[in-house]
Amino acid sequence: MLTRFGNWLDERMGWRAVWEAIFLRKVPKVNWFYTLGSATLFVAVNQAVTGILLTIYYVPTPDHAYDSVQYITTQVAGGWLIRGLHHWGASVMVVLVVLHMLRVIIYGAYKYPREVTWMTGVVLLLVVIGFGFTGYLLPWDQKSYWATTVGTRIAGVVPFLGDWILRIMRGGNDLSAVTLARFFGAHVWVLPATLLLLVGTHLFLVIRNGISEIPKREARKQ
Amino acid sequence: MEHSEKKEISRREFMKYTIAALGGLIGLGYGIPAIGYVVAPALAKSQAQQWIQLGAVSKVELGTPTLFKVNISRQTGWIVNQEELSVYVLTENGRDFVAMSNVCTHLGCRIRWIADQGQYYCPCHNGVYDKQGNVVSGPPPRPLDKYQTKVENDQLFILEG
Repeated sequence: MLTRFGNWLDERMGWRAVWEAIFLRKVPKVNWFYTLGSATLFVAVNQAVTGILLTIYYVPTPDHAYDSVQYITTQVAGGWLIRGLHHWGASVMVVLVVLHMLRVIIYGAYKYPREVTWMTGVVLLLVVIGFGFTGYLLPWDQKSYWATTVGTRIAGVVPFLGDWILRIMRGGNDLSAVTLARFFGAHVWVLPATLLLLVGTHLFLVIRNGISEIPKREARKQ
Repeated sequence: MEHSEKKEISRREFMKYTIAALGGLIGLGYGIPAIGYVVAPALAKSQAQQWIQLGAVSKVELGTPTLFKVNISRQTGWIVNQEELSVYVLTENGRDFVAMSNVCTHLGCRIRWIADQGQYYCPCHNGVYDKQGNVVSGPPPRPLDKYQTKVENDQLFILEG
């Protein structure tokens, strides 16, 4: 029954070819460090799922942000778990992304023909940091308020453009409702859209080019 | 007959089932808390009932519904709202009181007493109730909701919640 339905769909979608390209592709014999990318993807999905759930209650305005987060954590069934997964997942995400990058550097996996995979990966690292930076403000407590005050001030030390960058990030001279709203917008719309596009490209290239072998010491020339 | 024969399972099959089982567990691990998280506020019990003071018994006119308005605070999510509660109180003898909600039982619009006609009227879909709150015409499915009442020190109270 299930096989027949699978056949019916395959005839119209060709999904088996896609499935085989993704999951049944040939890979060289590698080690556990090669799972860091998949681990990152898993945590990214965790962030998306828990993040979507958080938006059901979270309200990004100064008069509601803190209270709505407290409501999620203390009143909603499982709210502590959803928020906890998102909170800790954010840190795990940064750690995994950096480890994944180190593995690619150390094994030289960024070399021809995988340069574009590497470049999208570099931008993805920036996107992940952007997620961390914008998400940190959203609980709107003392820590997030002052961290963002400092963070935007750091961006403000760029020569010539600094003041301008700071004002654009804050949406004015000071941290305000405008800042919170634009950080929220960046966190749930701009960055996810960018991430989706880049992860799509990144994974397509991983599958298209195949993954690199562990570099071997070349036999010494006679 | 053949049940003693050992069923061989290939490495590939074993991995397939293990991955499917792990995936299922992870799915449940997220899915069950997520459902609870989404439906929780809908299942929360409404707040405890409380007696609300409407005002002096002497304010209720004999034989005519009298409108009382009181402010109550109600917690929704993380917000405490001040809401105005409007109640029509009717007494025929000055001792027994009927307190009726001004919420139309059809779709929740606010009804009002039309003194000329001696009826309550709902502007949304022309629902009409008589003085006692019984449906006269229009779409309302049942009479107006009534509150339990009590009188203490010549003050009228209703039980809300």
